[in-house]
Amino acid sequence: MLKLEKISVKYGVIPAVNDLTIQVKAGQIVSLIGSNGAGKTTTLKTIVGVLSPFQGAILYQGKDITSFSAPQRVKMGIALVPEGRGIFNRLSVQENLFLGAYHRTDEREIKKDLDWIYELFPRLLERKEQVAGTLSGGEQQMLAVARGLMSRPSLMLLDEPSLGLAPLIVQELYRLIQEIRNQGVTILLVEQSAPMAIRVSDYVYVLETGFLKLEGSPEEVESLEDIKKAYLGG
Amino acid sequence: MFSFGYFLQQTMNGVILGCMYALLALGMTVVYGILRLINFAHGALITLGAFFTYFIFSQLGLPLLAVIFLVLGFGGLMGLVLDVVAYRKLRGGPEVALLITSLGFYTFIENLMKMIISPQPYAFKTPAFLSTIIRTQYLTFRPIDIFIIVSSILIMISFHFFIKKTKAGIAMRAISENLEVANIMGIEVNRTISLAFIIGSAIAAFTGFLWGAKYGQISYDMGFLTGVKAFVAVVVGGVGSVPGAMLGGFILGLAEILSIAFLPTYFAEYRDGIVFAILILVLLIKPSGILGMKEEVRV
Amino acid sequence: MKREIPHEVWFIIGGIILFVGVLLANQVLNRYLIHILILMGIYSVATASLNLTNGYTGLFSLGHAAFMAIGAYSSTLLTFPLSLRKSYDLPLLPSILGGPETAWPFLPALVAGGLMAALSALVIGVPVLRLRGHYLSVASLGFMVIVTTFAKTLRGITRGSMGISAIPSYTNIFWTYFWVLITVYVVWRIVNSRFGRAMLAIREDETAAQVLGVYPLKYKLLSFATGAFFAGVAGGLYAHFTKAIRPLEFSFFLTFQIVVMLVVGGAGTTSGPIAGAVSIIALRYLLKPVEERFALYGLIELIYAGLLIVIMLWKPEGIMGRKTGRIGG
Repeated sequence: MLKLEKISVKYGVIPAVNDLTIQVKAGQIVSLIGSNGAGKTTTLKTIVGVLSPFQGAILYQGKDITSFSAPQRVKMGIALVPEGRGIFNRLSVQENLFLGAYHRTDEREIKKDLDWIYELFPRLLERKEQVAGTLSGGEQQMLAVARGLMSRPSLMLLDEPSLGLAPLIVQELYRLIQEIRNQGVTILLVEQSAPMAIRVSDYVYVLETGFLKLEGSPEEVESLEDIKKAYLGG
Repeated sequence: MFSFGYFLQQTMNGVILGCMYALLALGMTVVYGILRLINFAHGALITLGAFFTYFIFSQLGLPLLAVIFLVLGFGGLMGLVLDVVAYRKLRGGPEVALLITSLGFYTFIENLMKMIISPQPYAFKTPAFLSTIIRTQYLTFRPIDIFIIVSSILIMISFHFFIKKTKAGIAMRAISENLEVANIMGIEVNRTISLAFIIGSAIAAFTGFLWGAKYGQISYDMGFLTGVKAFVAVVVGGVGSVPGAMLGGFILGLAEILSIAFLPTYFAEYRDGIVFAILILVLLIKPSGILGMKEEVRV
Repeated sequence: MKREIPHEVWFIIGGIILFVGVLLANQVLNRYLIHILILMGIYSVATASLNLTNGYTGLFSLGHAAFMAIGAYSSTLLTFPLSLRKSYDLPLLPSILGGPETAWPFLPALVAGGLMAALSALVIGVPVLRLRGHYLSVASLGFMVIVTTFAKTLRGITRGSMGISAIPSYTNIFWTYFWVLITVYVVWRIVNSRFGRAMLAIREDETAAQVLGVYPLKYKLLSFATGAFFAGVAGGLYAHFTKAIRPLEFSFFLTFQIVVMLVVGGAGTTSGPIAGAVSIIALRYLLKPVEERFALYGLIELIYAGLLIVIMLWKPEGIMGRKTGRIGG
C-alpha cells in the first residue's frame, strides 16, 4: 500500500531522516518506534506531504506520489493525526470534524459519517458545539482520531497518539485503533512508549537518530534485549 | 448647550465613519489572523476603489447597481494580484518581510496614483438621488448616508456568516490557528489565503466608493491614514476577532467624530492624535483588545 | 597563534581616513556636492540608528521620523539665537536650562535633543515592547502621528505648521561625519557585546532567549532608546543644516525613506545602512531633474517603493548583506 524507498529528509541543512526504506501492507497495523529525535514525525510529515524528501521516492497504491502536494495526498486517502493532536482549539468540535472531511464533496455521506463518528464517540456528540480547546486531553485525542476518520482514509498515520494520556485511556485508544483497522483502514503508528504499539502491530520498524535500526515481526523485536532496555522499560 | 438633535446628528456621523472603519477592519483582521501581516496595501485599495468609482460613476454615469458590482470585482482582482505578485513569495519567511513589502506596495500605488491622476484632490460628485438633503425634526441627512449604513450592515452580516458557516470561512479560521495542520486536512492554503485577500480587498475598494460619495473629495493619499486607522480598529476590538474588528471600527468612528463635536474647537486639530491615543490606551490596559483572546506566540 | 588587531584600532584608522577624506572633499568639491555629502551623512546616522532597532533586534519601528522631529525641535529650541526669539515668538530658556540669557552651543544641544528622543522612546517602549513585534509597528506609527500633531498644535514652542526658520547653520561636513563615525562605532560596540548577542538571540527566537535567561524587555528597551537617541541627533543635525523645520517634513515618508535605505543597504549589517543612505540619496539627486523636467511628481517615491519591493522579493539581505541559511521555514 505504502512504500518509502530510500528517502532522506533535511531540516534546512540538518539531516533528519537518512536512507529510510519502509513498507506498509494493506490492512496492517505497522508501527515505527524510536526515541525523541529519531525522525519519526519527520517521516510521517514526509508521507503526508508537508515536508519533501531530497532523495528517494514515496509510493502509494503503486503510484509515485513524491511530488504531490499535501491536499492531493489527502484526497488519495492519506490522513495524518498529528503529534500533540493538532486540533483547532478555537473551532468547535463539529467544525474540527468537518475540516477532516474538507476535501470531500459528498455532503450526504459526510453527514452519515458524522453520525457514525458520534456513535463511536458519544462524548464528542455531547460537546459538538463546544470549542475544542475546552476538551480534556483524552477527548482531544479522540477528536483528532475522529477528524482523521472523517476524511475516509485508506491509510491513517498516527503520531504518538498515546502521548500524555492516562493508561486507561491509552487502552481504550488502542482498542479503537484495532477497530479502525478491522474496518479496512491501514494504519501506520508512531510511538515512543512502545509496548502497547508493538503488541497491536503486524510489523515493527525501529528508528534511531534518523536511521533504520532494525525491523521485524513484533515477536522478533520484543525478544531483542537492547530493544527491551531502550523502549520497553526493562 | 448642545441640543439633542446635535447629539443625534453627530452620533450618526460617527456611526457612518465607524461603518467605513469597520468594513476596512474586516479585511485587515482576517489577513492579519492568517499571515500576521499588517497589510498597509489595504489602504491603497481604498484609494483605488474611490478613483475607480469616480471614473465609472461620476464620469461615465453607470447605474448604481452596476457600479457596486464592478467596484467589488475590481477590488477583488487587485487583491488577488497583490497576493500572487507580492505576498505568496514571502510566505514562510520572517513576518517583518511581509510588513515591509506591504509598505512598499502601499507607497508604490500611492505615488503611481499621484503621477497618473494628479497631486490635487478630486471632487467626487454623486447623482441627485443620493445627495438630495432630507430634513427631519432632529436629523438632516442624505440618501447616501442611509446607503452607507445599510450596505455596511449587510456586508458585515454576510461576512460574519461567511466566516462562521461556510467551508471556506472555517478553513480560514483553521489556517489562522495552525497553518500546517490545516494543510494536512487537505485545505489548499494558498487558494484560501488568496480568497481572504480577494474578499478583503473587494470590501476595501467598495469602502473607497462610500468614502468618496460621503465626503465628496478623493485624493491619491486618502488611503494611508484611513488604512492605518482601520488597523487600529482591529487592535482596539481584538486582533483576530471579526466582531471585534467591527466593534473597534465603530468605537473609533464615534470617538473621532464625537470628540471633535463636543470638545472646544481648537481640539479639532487633535483629531488623528485622539485615534492613536485610544490605541496606546488600549495597548496599556488590555493589549489583546476588547473582544480579543490572548495571542499565542507561534513557535 | 596570530594576534588580531583590535577592532578599535580599525575604527581609529577608519576615522583618520574619513577625516582626511572629508577635509579633502571640503577643499575640492563645490557647495552642491558638499550639500549632498552632508545629507548622505545625516541619513547614514538615521539609518544606522534604525538598524539598531529594526535590523538587529527584529523589532519593527515605524516611528523614526518622530524621534528625528523630537531631536530637531529640542535642539533648535536650545540653540535658537537670543536676538531672534522675540520676533519668532519662541520662548526664552527657563533657568534650569541656563536662563533667558543663554543659547546653547551646538554639541550639547544635539546631545540634549538625542536624550529627549531616547526618553520618549522609553515612555512609548514600556507599554508597547512587551507585546509582539507588530504592535510596535502600529504604535510607533501612531506615536509619529501624535508627535506631528503636537508639532502643529503647540504653537508656543513650535510655531505650528509654519515651522521654525532662521535656525543657526551649525551643521557642516565635519560635524556630520563625526556623528556618522560615533553612531557606527556605538552600534558596532553594542552589537558585539554581551548585550548585542542577547539582542540577536531575541531576533532569532524570543521564546528560546527567555529560556536562556535573556529578559527581552530590557534589551528591547535599551536598543529602542539608543536607536532613538541617534535618530534625535540626526534630527538635530538636519535642523541645523536646512535651517528650517516644519511638522510635515517629519511625516511617514521620512520614515519610509529611512526604511528603504536600511532594506536596500542590508538590515543587520554594519556597512549596510551607510551604503543604503548613500545610494538612495544619490538616486534622489539623479532623479530630481527628471521629476521636475517632466512634472512627474511622485516619481522618486515610486522608484523608492519599487526598489524596496524588488529587494524584498529577490534580495532580502540587501546590498551589503550575506545570505544566511534559514532553518526550516
